[in-house]
Amino acid sequence: MIELQQVGKRFGTRMAVDDLTLHVSRGEIFGLLGHNGAGKSTAIGMMLGQVWPTCGKVRIGGFDVTAQRQQALQNVGAIFETPVFYDYLSGWRNLEILSHYTARTPAARLREVIDWVGLTGRERSLVKTYSHGMRARLALAQALLPQPQLLILDEPSDGLDPEGIHEMRQTILRLHRELGLTILLSSHFLSEVEQLCSRIAVLKNGRKVFEGSLSGARQTRAWVRLRTDDFAAAMTELRQGGLVVDEWDGQCIVLAAGVGADEVVRRLVAAGRPVYEIAPEAQTLERFYLGLMKQEREKPDRSSAKVD
Amino acid sequence: MFRLQFRNELWKLFGKKRTYMGFLMFLLAQNVIILVFRFSSGPRISMMRTLEGNGYLAQDFLSALTVATFMLFPLAYLLLPLYVALVGGDLVAKEAEDGTLRMILSRPISRTRLLLLKWLSGLAFSLVLVLALGGLGLLFARLWFPWGGLFVFVPGELFSIFAAVGGWHHYVAAVFMLAIKAATILGLAFMFSCFNVKPAAATILALSFVFVSFILQSIPYFKDLQPWFLTYHLNLWQLMFAQPIPWWRMGESLSLLLGFNLTFLVVGATAFHVRDIKS
Repeated sequence: MIELQQVGKRFGTRMAVDDLTLHVSRGEIFGLLGHNGAGKSTAIGMMLGQVWPTCGKVRIGGFDVTAQRQQALQNVGAIFETPVFYDYLSGWRNLEILSHYTARTPAARLREVIDWVGLTGRERSLVKTYSHGMRARLALAQALLPQPQLLILDEPSDGLDPEGIHEMRQTILRLHRELGLTILLSSHFLSEVEQLCSRIAVLKNGRKVFEGSLSGARQTRAWVRLRTDDFAAAMTELRQGGLVVDEWDGQCIVLAAGVGADEVVRRLVAAGRPVYEIAPEAQTLERFYLGLMKQEREKPDRSSAKVD
Repeated sequence: MFRLQFRNELWKLFGKKRTYMGFLMFLLAQNVIILVFRFSSGPRISMMRTLEGNGYLAQDFLSALTVATFMLFPLAYLLLPLYVALVGGDLVAKEAEDGTLRMILSRPISRTRLLLLKWLSGLAFSLVLVLALGGLGLLFARLWFPWGGLFVFVPGELFSIFAAVGGWHHYVAAVFMLAIKAATILGLAFMFSCFNVKPAAATILALSFVFVSFILQSIPYFKDLQPWFLTYHLNLWQLMFAQPIPWWRMGESLSLLLGFNLTFLVVGATAFHVRDIKS
């Protein structure tokens, strides 16, 4: 559905996106992760033909976005962070205006989508009277109006309260389940990505540092939870013995290849350190993401990892 | 589809309060001018002396048409460029600044088509604004002055006298020609608006261009170079009050303004096409 082949975008001397290759298959929910300025929005801009790539090819539904933008975007809906509308017009008028840029939209379709997002009864009110949550629903409605097959969501939960975030998450799942949409989601909320996406890509400084399935990301490192009287001293001891390769948050460690938990316990007990608990720890996306960022910072070269 | 999209552009343009700022200021300015002209004797006496000094009966020409035309000059020179540049500068740059342009350009509409729709809505605005300027001016003038002949006097440039019917025709023609001036200034602001600038910057750039051209044109030593300045051609509406109308000069200015407008549109469209639209 979405294909990026060695795409790059340069703004002046800065490379905002560098050699990005991505593939999003039909029907999947794909997460695009990265810190602010990592290049997520630029990549999305290039997918929508708003930002022209400096090099590489961007294809949506088989159409080249640069050369065949109209065909490529025919079945695409998009939502951006902080939805913006013509505040001085009604929600209905806004939907009419935006949908007509794609195709003539009958009033019945407008009513159907307004009902679907739960704005019935408020569609004739001016958008300036809408709450942030209602604007988010209106943004969703405008994205759904052209009956898209692909939905691109750039930070859709930004600025929403916890209830709104939950509602947005449920809506995305419902869209995927009921309408079978392919969804590309860019988000800062790692728990949101974890609950929604089947595959992810992580960007750092414009480069892809990871692409793969969420389960693959979780299995990249076997974390072990360790409770002892002095974690720092225990780490020094274990590092001296070459038993661990990483540590996390004063409570988790990554064992060196071929090292078992029994060896760790023996070493610590021999050094006079008590071991209160040692157990396998499930890798969360947050831990994976932060670990990846740390790893990338320490890396001299910036090659990307790939796990399927 | 084009008709629907054009209607939507008009909804967006005429739904905004600031679009009506020009109309409101014209109303205020026209009423102030009329009241000053009606109730203070100085300007009227000066006009009557000019008429009578040239052998005309002042009461035949101290009419609604004369007062409406008399008001048209300062408003066309000062306020009209300001308000069309304000709207023209907003057309693209304001949408880019607000973020709505990004929403639009996530749709399968070509940038050229979008610009064309916006430019046409700007033309529609120019026409409506100028018709309001001419129409309301005449309406308010008629409330205080009788219907009669038209007298137009611009020192060193124009001294024309028309009977009521002929004057009315010249007035209507001048108002329509004024719409071309408005559309050209709007097109200039629109061109700047297509670049990656703030709406205010687009408006200021367009006004600066017009004022610099006007200043250059007004320098006596540059008299021979006048046909090279945009403002010289923008004033073609005044020629509709000349006796006789210099049709060759009208044709020259009209064709040059057409060229200017197309250039503004092409430059704007090219700049808009190559730029990146970001949040």
